[in-house]
Amino acid sequence: MPGLDGLPVRPGPERRAALAAAYDAWLGRLLPPSPGVALVATGGLGRREPAPRGDLDLMIVHVGQPVRELADAVWYPVWDAGLSLDHAVRTVAEATSVARDDLRVALALLDSRHLAGDPAVSARLLEAARAAWRQRAPQQLAALREQVEARWSGAGELAYLAEPNLKDARGGLRDAQALRAVAVAQVVDVPWAPLRGAYQELLDLRDARQLATGRTGDVLHADEVELAAEALRLPDGDALRYRLAEAGRSVAYALDETWRAVDRWYAGRRRGWRRQRMPVRRPLAQGVVEQEREVVLATTARPADDPVLTLRVAAAAATADLPIARHTLARLSAETAPLPEPWPEEARNLLVTLLGAGEPLVHIWEALDRTGLLGRLLPEWERVRSRPQRSPVHRYTVDRHLVQAAVEAAALRREVSRPDLLLLAALLHDIGKGAGGDHSEVGAELARGLVTRLGLPPGDAATVVTLVRHHLLLVDTATRRDLEDPDTVGRVVEVLDSAELVDLAAALTAADAKATGPAAWTPWRKKLVGALVDRARAVVTGRPLPEPGRPDPDLVDRARAGEVVVEYTGADGAGGERVVAAAAVSGRRHGLLSRVAGSLALHRLDVLGATATTVPGEVPVVVVGCDVQPRYGDLPPLDQLRTDLRAALVGELPLAERLAARDRTYGHADPAPARVLWDGDVVELRAADAPGLLFRVTAALEACGADVRWARVSTLGGDVVDAFGLASVPERSLVAKALADAAG
Amino acid sequence: MKLVTAILKPFVLDDVRAALEKVGVNGLTVAEVSGYGRQKGHTEVYRGAEYQVDLVPKVRVEVLCEAVDAARIVDAIVTAARTGKIGDGKVWVTDVDEIVRVRTGERGADAL
Repeated sequence: MPGLDGLPVRPGPERRAALAAAYDAWLGRLLPPSPGVALVATGGLGRREPAPRGDLDLMIVHVGQPVRELADAVWYPVWDAGLSLDHAVRTVAEATSVARDDLRVALALLDSRHLAGDPAVSARLLEAARAAWRQRAPQQLAALREQVEARWSGAGELAYLAEPNLKDARGGLRDAQALRAVAVAQVVDVPWAPLRGAYQELLDLRDARQLATGRTGDVLHADEVELAAEALRLPDGDALRYRLAEAGRSVAYALDETWRAVDRWYAGRRRGWRRQRMPVRRPLAQGVVEQEREVVLATTARPADDPVLTLRVAAAAATADLPIARHTLARLSAETAPLPEPWPEEARNLLVTLLGAGEPLVHIWEALDRTGLLGRLLPEWERVRSRPQRSPVHRYTVDRHLVQAAVEAAALRREVSRPDLLLLAALLHDIGKGAGGDHSEVGAELARGLVTRLGLPPGDAATVVTLVRHHLLLVDTATRRDLEDPDTVGRVVEVLDSAELVDLAAALTAADAKATGPAAWTPWRKKLVGALVDRARAVVTGRPLPEPGRPDPDLVDRARAGEVVVEYTGADGAGGERVVAAAAVSGRRHGLLSRVAGSLALHRLDVLGATATTVPGEVPVVVVGCDVQPRYGDLPPLDQLRTDLRAALVGELPLAERLAARDRTYGHADPAPARVLWDGDVVELRAADAPGLLFRVTAALEACGADVRWARVSTLGGDVVDAFGLASVPERSLVAKALADAAG
Repeated sequence: MKLVTAILKPFVLDDVRAALEKVGVNGLTVAEVSGYGRQKGHTEVYRGAEYQVDLVPKVRVEVLCEAVDAARIVDAIVTAARTGKIGDGKVWVTDVDEIVRVRTGERGADAL
């Protein structure tokens, strides 16, 4: 196909227009001039936005004469050029007939554009298609809505998916095209002008992806993001993700608004325009009323004189779970005066009410954000708007995550004495992300400024700042330290020094984790954090701590008698089991912990935590207890585990080889090097997860003479944090090297 | 030894068999299959909804041969089967590691 050499290199509107012109010129020459026959482009080429490597959608329209040869003259060159073609040959009547039953054809016809042949025929086709669409608008729009929602349930939300489908996801290209189709029906006003930019953005992203990777398709895979960013001359993949999220949200929001307007139109038709009654207005708050299932301003409302009005509207809408009318948002945006600083108490209370509304908060917050009202209330929000996250464990962008945390926190209202502070902390806990540095520290400073501006009394402000500063304290401590060590709890209560703070931090931890994604709040983590919280509460209220567990004397006796004991000691209700192994040992380098870890790994049991206690006496016995969870299915039979462990202890089971083989099959190469961190007697290893890692690491620790008292394994995504409490610490550098080698 | 496989329009089968006989092929396998290519199963004059992909009936013809004969056999099939219209199909050649005649146990070229 000629004309492709002169195209602009960079994806964008100019390239699309040039490509469309090239196609037009080439295809136009393929159809000889013939009265009553026309070649028409639909789909992307019809809209003058052809995808770089997409299908051509072409149709030959005729008035009833035989057109086989003409069709051949057009299709064969296209097929021979290797282009993918969706084609049809129809009369105008046949086209409208198919369109009646097939929504996709109806939509395609709305975009039809004359390419060659008899222009009168093309014009008749377009005319008939539009007339049919408008005439049958009620049925067609209902069908369109069903199709849109079916698409969403398969493809998810563009702004938040890790690998979004640019065409089909909510907020994607097809949604924008659906909006245009609604506009053509001429039943409601569609806000197309503000969307133009977002639509071009999405087209640019699609083109960039196809050009940079050379692949067809519409899914933006994770490994393609950087390539596409380069093609668009964006600084990095994050900049691309930001623009993608913003465009997707604009489109999704506009579509939601439009469907609401369509619903109102349907309701109006049912009522009948002749019997126009006065609309019923139900007051919701001062200056705020509900009308036709939307929240609008009362006739007496004056945004210019009432700066709190925006929050009052938002809080009322969220509480009643109703959307805010588009013109109300426009009026607030145009006329509202800024709030005085510090905020009046009513404003603070309304903000808390809004945050506590639960699920309805999400769409009200989105409405405030998309119309610029949020930015005026909370300028700090700019830093986190549509900000992509570092790790795929996070389901949402930073701002959406904060809103979701507030939604989750609202459900936990009853568990704290100050739900207002909990909600504010939930909203602000990650506000420091994206600035570089420790986001907890940065966030705490931002939060301090913000809550001072909100007019919180100093005590409350300090509480919120503390919560933001230490929002990761509980989960980090619980998953990486030994709870039985009084130091551990001591560290926590140093920061959370009252029962109220402990409760608030506990609720914030749960809300944050639930708002992150399914992997972040497993029953195991919940159990650990719960245990830490109980201990912290006990210390802070002056109650005694529970005694640390002692090894079962029966097991110790059996071990002393020469048996290698392996037992399951009961489920803990959180999906885990406890395996206890005891053996009589001589000398320090017994290797019991690493052999247990290795045997468990061979049986595909994930070790979540372990303790190793030495019971002194004439014959010293080491008792190793492991909290395990089977990776697949049920626990293996005890006999097998016993046999394997006994064999391993006498050196008959080549654990290292068998686990190395499995690592090669299932492990993955991680470009980031492993890190070793020290904290007193605790050493932490952060590395990529692999089946035999714990075995290798404990073996390495034993080999260099470190005596492991307890271990905690915390896995998130493909990464693992192994923390070890050491009873005696040989030279630190030796240990660090041994760990790094074992992990690398 | 090679296997020549061809996916063809059903009505060309007789012509293809005649052509293969002429180049000395005395055994083949035929199966009824369905499929589609770039034109998605649609004919040149197609009135249905675009975006539909239809399976069209075809036949699969398979011939075992020596490597030196493969090219001649492919040419014979292609010439006999070509109509010039979309949907004519494809022919391809793959390697065969072993052939055994069931009745006698002959192997390799003797089994052809």
